[in-house]
Formats: sequence, structure tokens, C-alpha cells
Amino acid sequence: MANEIPSNLKYTKDHEWALIEGDVVTVGITDFAQSQLGDIVFVELPEVGTQLDSGATFGVIESIKSVSDLYAPIAGEVLAANNDLEGEPEKCNEAPYESWLIKIKCSQETELEGLLSPDDYEKVCE
Amino acid sequence: MDNIKKTSLHEVHLSLGAKMAPFAGYDMPLQYTSVKDESKAVRDSAGVFDVSHMGEFFAEGEDAVKFVDYLLTNDFAKAEVGKAVYSPLCREDATIIDDLIAYKLSDKKVLICVNASNIEKDYSWFEKHAPQFDCKLSNQSEDFSLLALQGPKSEEILRALEIFPSEDFTYYSAREVQSPVGPLILARTGYTGEDGFEIFGDHDAIGTVWSQLMEKEVVPCGLAARDVLRLEVGYPLYGHELSDDWTPFDAGLKWTVKMDKESFIGKEFLSTYKPKYRLAKLSLEKGIPREGYEVLNSKGEKIGWVTSGTMSVATGKGIGLALVEKEKFPEDKLFKIKVRANELDANYHTKAFVAGGHK
Repeated sequence: MANEIPSNLKYTKDHEWALIEGDVVTVGITDFAQSQLGDIVFVELPEVGTQLDSGATFGVIESIKSVSDLYAPIAGEVLAANNDLEGEPEKCNEAPYESWLIKIKCSQETELEGLLSPDDYEKVCE
Repeated sequence: MDNIKKTSLHEVHLSLGAKMAPFAGYDMPLQYTSVKDESKAVRDSAGVFDVSHMGEFFAEGEDAVKFVDYLLTNDFAKAEVGKAVYSPLCREDATIIDDLIAYKLSDKKVLICVNASNIEKDYSWFEKHAPQFDCKLSNQSEDFSLLALQGPKSEEILRALEIFPSEDFTYYSAREVQSPVGPLILARTGYTGEDGFEIFGDHDAIGTVWSQLMEKEVVPCGLAARDVLRLEVGYPLYGHELSDDWTPFDAGLKWTVKMDKESFIGKEFLSTYKPKYRLAKLSLEKGIPREGYEVLNSKGEKIGWVTSGTMSVATGKGIGLALVEKEKFPEDKLFKIKVRANELDANYHTKAFVAGGHK
């Protein structure tokens, strides 16, 4: 089973990755997640400007046979949503770490410390 | 997970790396590589499903045909020897116990293939009525494995394996055959809308057929692809469109109820019955109908629910079957489906989403 875990990212137990650049956090789903979901056919993302609480549902990702919620890894405002995925949701299967979903402006920087390291995330996948 | 049953091909599925899931008490392959690739293989070339979890009953004796005909709403008596008939199995109040295929192997031998989740319920119903007839009933579900070879290349493949019986083996034909791997029961039936065959046999013979199909590069397909394929051609599934709580008239199966038959269980009730529901085929431009989603009319009033839904691989659209309250069925054919917080306009289809190519 595919399970690439890049070392430059942080992770959540909900199988999302987070790229931290200053106070901007880019979020996507991991290789493990896309492999579990199978053929991804639909992605629903929030409007730019939406305020998210930590752990709140910010969107939905659907494979042919399943529907899964997407969870905000941290609290903050949605700065951007990757609406290109609407037309080509299969990119989430093909290149999960290039197919970012949203960018969040982090409102509480201490939350970043709660994200999982690559090693810790690997344990979540076992 | 301790009591979960396994088909005779279970190890083969694991060695192919299939994603497994419990279904009707069996640990079944959901998908091997991808639902997309598997369903495409069936539409374009050939795929094979292990559906050994399904149940096989036999009725044998002078009255075997009469017995089965009395329990089915469809006309089994009229079918020629060597033909199969799809039918609901109903109670006196016409509620649906199951849907099944009955195969007339001779005028004294009938094979009945039923849904895995309903084997016990169905068998006790058959058993209850068998004593009125001169026939012997047996449940041989554990002794049979079953493959569904589906897709336009199926005939060519069976010919190469020397299993294809003869030119006159047309759609819904059924026959006991002596094949190079031993005795098999072959039927030109399936659940995908494509040409194809269902192959019943003992576990060893079916194991050999599976290996031979792999050598012919037939694509192994899981239950997820099977569900997409059946929905694309609008076939109902027990537990979704069909249930203990309504009748064939409520679920688009009027064509399987032959009211001109002299007698069958459920006939009297259906002769005066006014259906509660009507089946609708709906699709969305954006978004995917899922089981349980509400179906609304153009004013936003709830009129029914989605019974099955999926992304269609063939059309690239979200498709679904829905049961709509008959009295609220909108004359303007304008439907909406509530997907999470959004009420999305749905397209109403009078024909199947995908035509299918069965012969």
C-alpha cells in the first residue's frame, strides 16, 4: 500500500498534511488517505474568507463509493482554495502532496505545535 | 471478524492485494486496483467477479417448475427449458422477500440463485411451501462457487476455454455443461448490463476457471465496481430499492409481475393494490447522490429519498435511484436532491443512465 510521508510536512490523525510557511498553513490529504479512499471523483472546498475552528469540517472529498469530511488542522481564515481540483479531483490520487486543498492563515500559532511529525504520523498509519 | 465466511477464492483475492470488506457475512473483495479501471474493463472488454457468496437452491421433481412458478411473480412456467427468469419473491401481502434468478435446467430441475444476505429467509420460505408440491428442495449454497464473467469479450473468452456451449446460447440461456474443468452450470446472465455469463460449479472447478480467466487477462473486479455497473443500467439491489416493506409495484418492477398467471403468492393482494412509491432515475451535474439523501420537488418539499447513488464511471456524472411517494410524484419532472446543505437540481431519466450491450 502506498504510503509516502515527506519529511518537510506536518500531519494530522485524520490523514491530512500541513505545510507551514510563517503563519500560512497549506493543507492536503496524505498518500495513505488517497490510497484508502480509492478513485477520488469530487472535492468540495470552502469559500475564501471562511473562518474555521480547529477540527471543524471545511469540506468534503468523495471517492466513487464513499464520502469523507475534511477537517481543519488548525483554526484560522481560509486564504485560498484550490478550485482547480473541481475539474480534476483525480489529482488527489495521482499527486497527493502537490494537490493542496486550502491555505489557512493561522490564528493561534501555538496550535502548530500540536501537529504530528512524520515519524508520529507513520505510527498513525500502522 | 471470527465468524466471517470466506469464499473458496478468498486466498486468491488476498494475494492479488484486494481491498476486502464484510458483505452479507462474507469477507469479499471490494476492489483490486481501482473501481474506475474495473468498471471500464467490463464495459470495454471483460471482467470477472467472485460472487460465490450468493445462494443456490435446487428444486427437483415432477412439480419443480410448478412449485417455483407459484412462488415467483414472473412467469416461470412459460419459460422454455434452458432459459432463466428474473423475478421478485413475494409474500401474500406482496412485500418483497428477495429478487432472484430461476434457471430452468430441465422440466424437472430448477436452480434458484438468491442474494447472499437473504439465503436463510428465502430458504425457509421455499421450504414452507414445498410440501404442497411433488418436488425435492435443497440448499446447496455451500457446495457451489460462482463467477460472473461480464463484458463484450466474454463469449470469445469462453470459446477459447472450450466452455461456450453452442450458437443458440443466447441472452438468459442456462444449461448444465460438461467442460474441460468438469461439470458446470452456465447462464448468459449478469448484473452489469453487458453481455456475460454466470458460471456455477464446485469449488475446484471454479478455482480452475478463475486461473484460466486470469491467463486470458480478464480483469478481476470487486463489489464496488459491480455496484457502479448495476446502477448505471438502473438495476435494483435488495436492501436499497427492494425491501420487506414494499412491493414490486413500488420499485419499478411491474414488468416482473405477470397478473395473467393463474396463481402466484401475492397475486390477490396486488390485484387491488395502489402503489405507495415510484422509482426515479436521477442524475446531478455536480455532486453525487448518496443513499439516504432527500429528494425534493421544485418547491423544495421532501417527496422521497435516494435508495442508491454513486459516481458513474461511464458518464462522469453522479447518478442515483430514488423512491418517490407516488402521490407527490411531480408532473413537471423537476426534482432536486439535497446534498448536505445544498438543494441541487437533478435530471430525470426515463431510460437507463448507460445502455449496456447485452445480447
